[in-house]
Amino acid sequence: MTLCTTFWRICRRCGSRSPASTARARRILASTLLAVVQAAAAPGQSVPAERLLAPAVDSWPTYHGDYSGQHHSRLTEITPDNVHRMTLAWAFQTNAAQQIKATPILVNGVIYLTSPDNLWAIDARSGRQIWRYSHPANDGFKIGHRGAAVRGDLVYLTTPDAHLVALDARTGRVRWNVEIADSRRGHWSTNAPLVIRNHLIVGVSGDFDNLPGILKSFDPETGALQWTFFSTPPPGAPDSISGGATGGQMWMTGTYDPVLNLLYVGTGNPTPVLNGPARPGDNKWTGSIVALNPDTGQMAWGFQAVPHDTHDWDAAEVPVLVDADFAGTRRRLLLQASRNGYYFVLDRVTGKNLLAVPFATVNWAQGIDQDGRPIPNPEKEPARDGRLVAPDEAGGTNYRSPAFDPATGLFIVSAHDAYGLYFFKPEHGAVGWAGADYTVHGRGVLRAIDYQTGRIRWSHDLHGGAGAAGVLTTATGVTFSGDSANNALALRTSDGTTLWHSGTGRVGNTPITYELDGRQYVLFAGGSVLYAWALPR
Amino acid sequence: MVSRTVPMRVFGRLIGGAALVAWMGTLAGAQRGAGPDPPPPPAEGRGQTSPASQRPPQTKVPQDYAAAQIEAGRTPFASQCGFCHGRDAAGGAGGADLTRSTLVAEDVRGDRLGPVIRSGRPAQGMPAFALSDAELAAIVAFIHDQKRQVDTATGGRRSVAATDLETGDAAAGKRYFDAACTRCHSATGDLAGVAARHQGLTLLQRMLYPSQAERGGDPPRVPQTVTVTLAAGQTVTGPLAYRDEFTIALTDASGWYRSWPASQVKFSVDDPLQAHVEQLGKYTDDVMHDVLAYLQTLR
Repeated sequence: MTLCTTFWRICRRCGSRSPASTARARRILASTLLAVVQAAAAPGQSVPAERLLAPAVDSWPTYHGDYSGQHHSRLTEITPDNVHRMTLAWAFQTNAAQQIKATPILVNGVIYLTSPDNLWAIDARSGRQIWRYSHPANDGFKIGHRGAAVRGDLVYLTTPDAHLVALDARTGRVRWNVEIADSRRGHWSTNAPLVIRNHLIVGVSGDFDNLPGILKSFDPETGALQWTFFSTPPPGAPDSISGGATGGQMWMTGTYDPVLNLLYVGTGNPTPVLNGPARPGDNKWTGSIVALNPDTGQMAWGFQAVPHDTHDWDAAEVPVLVDADFAGTRRRLLLQASRNGYYFVLDRVTGKNLLAVPFATVNWAQGIDQDGRPIPNPEKEPARDGRLVAPDEAGGTNYRSPAFDPATGLFIVSAHDAYGLYFFKPEHGAVGWAGADYTVHGRGVLRAIDYQTGRIRWSHDLHGGAGAAGVLTTATGVTFSGDSANNALALRTSDGTTLWHSGTGRVGNTPITYELDGRQYVLFAGGSVLYAWALPR
Repeated sequence: MVSRTVPMRVFGRLIGGAALVAWMGTLAGAQRGAGPDPPPPPAEGRGQTSPASQRPPQTKVPQDYAAAQIEAGRTPFASQCGFCHGRDAAGGAGGADLTRSTLVAEDVRGDRLGPVIRSGRPAQGMPAFALSDAELAAIVAFIHDQKRQVDTATGGRRSVAATDLETGDAAAGKRYFDAACTRCHSATGDLAGVAARHQGLTLLQRMLYPSQAERGGDPPRVPQTVTVTLAAGQTVTGPLAYRDEFTIALTDASGWYRSWPASQVKFSVDDPLQAHVEQLGKYTDDVMHDVLAYLQTLR
């Protein structure tokens, strides 16, 4: 394992703020591996680590369903042959103007659904509201929310004013409320926290001000800060390798390998966003996938998917963990369809790149460097008179979750072939957005990528611009997603053929599935309604 | 504000010779610590009528808003509109600079803005907002106040000036146009006077994809035409009204909306804009600017 020796972290327990040594990191790794084994053997809390290691079929206990981020269910009641018979089991109306973008979390028969400032507890059998939490009025951005997290008898919500609120899962009453980052400086949070044993990992956003990229771990029981990882240095940090860039916000939920004890998380774009001259160089660790020790926040390795980004592309998309053959060798892989339009395969032990190929229309790179990173074409940096760049700001994909189907080896992602116009001139300044960009045209398409070669096995037109739906696959070979019109979709995983649809409104979240009382449910959001589908009884 | 050493070598590749001189001029201004935007350079040979010399659209009807109402609009604007349009309404992630918007300039106390905010512009990614009358009025007051401030202030704009786009070679653009665009377009026909109707960024956006929204106005429709063949062999032709994987719909000759399950009829769609989509992959930035320069001569 290569260990990075230049990074910034502040350990709350020891107060140190120094580069870590390789030997020390190895000691920590060894001790935490022991801790994993011990934790797995110990009985205890209601939603402990072991449940997240092997989620039961009657739950969707964390944002990605499990730690791998595969969005693949082993449930088998619904098949390609009977999926067309699915009927509505129930619908939950939020009565809110904003569409649902969150992935529902399901634990103990209760669904936890979020929107900015809101969390609903819903009966997973009937769709009835049990309770609702509304966060006090604030001026944080309310552009969307990814979801909740649950551990023990607490459910966690991040908020537009960058707070982390712990609610009693039974009643919705606030147990504690801590600030993750200062919203007055321009942070907000849409993040679905990730529970790893006694750590609650939480990220924030903040593109409109020059802010260091921060990821924090809190004590899930008390809200006490455990550690902070900075993807770009905080003001005054020595030995900066970011080239003057800030940003790299970790606004998406990561994935976790319990054997390696590594948390994988994608970092956001640098700031100032479109002003490249203000921050020369690669701007590490923005636009990167980083591997962190969840006990310390210490960085094991980083892979920069987009060096010196000037187009608001991040590498925050889901780092999907797969143990499978690659070029004839069984490996621990990490797969990502990145916002910059490239599909990457990494060895997740070392961070070494194994494959980098486009999966959507791209025109911004001059090639791939020896480390597997696309080489940005300086001619495509935003300029005074405009540059026509593919993809656009929305990216070749975005937050919507992909799925990995082990049976076919297909990595299925909601892709976007798009062009945007990018402008920057010195008058735009060097704070926040610092430029202007406009989408010219975009087309959404679901793409099934052969995970070993990056070749597109099939494409399914989404009939409009970028899709908003994530992807779910099941062991019977059914793929659930939504198109860019108003339809929830079920496709045959092997070839992308449509098997079922329902025009229930644009799917803005990632479908989930679970089994309750012997019946398999599939949940899609359509507009501001959450729909539960099942075979007729 | 650029205050650090700028790698001129990179810039030299980014922009052409004459533009580089202008660029260096603005850099020098910025490095002196001059906050204001430099005045736009005179547009060669076009005098006062050049689109480049046009100011942002001016508020048609001056309106006064109470300070309390403007303040009341600041927070809801920031939280609900600010991500796309910027907290100061001067442009954010993908959304228009509202301080240069024609719609805002023409708005009187929400008569134009209100319907757009309440209904959204789904085709352009803008959702509908459910707001009380008082919230809407406060947001409108805030937007107008930001426009007033930005119109009188200098620097910091995220917008694109028409002068910024005048880097192309019109003669080269004409040669390209004559070879690539004349199957559908004519400089003396549909595009005669196009530069009088559209300028700057709007002209460039419409050149690249004509149904692209006119900033501040409703998106002009360039209808696709669909011909549906029914089971009995009868055909119906009209402007495409809706299409997804499962439904095809058109507006028939009498103006009625008619739809069919896409799997039960045969249909063909004539999309005149498909050539523009294909063209996006063929443009170099130089060619794009050359063709724009040529269109700018069609006044």
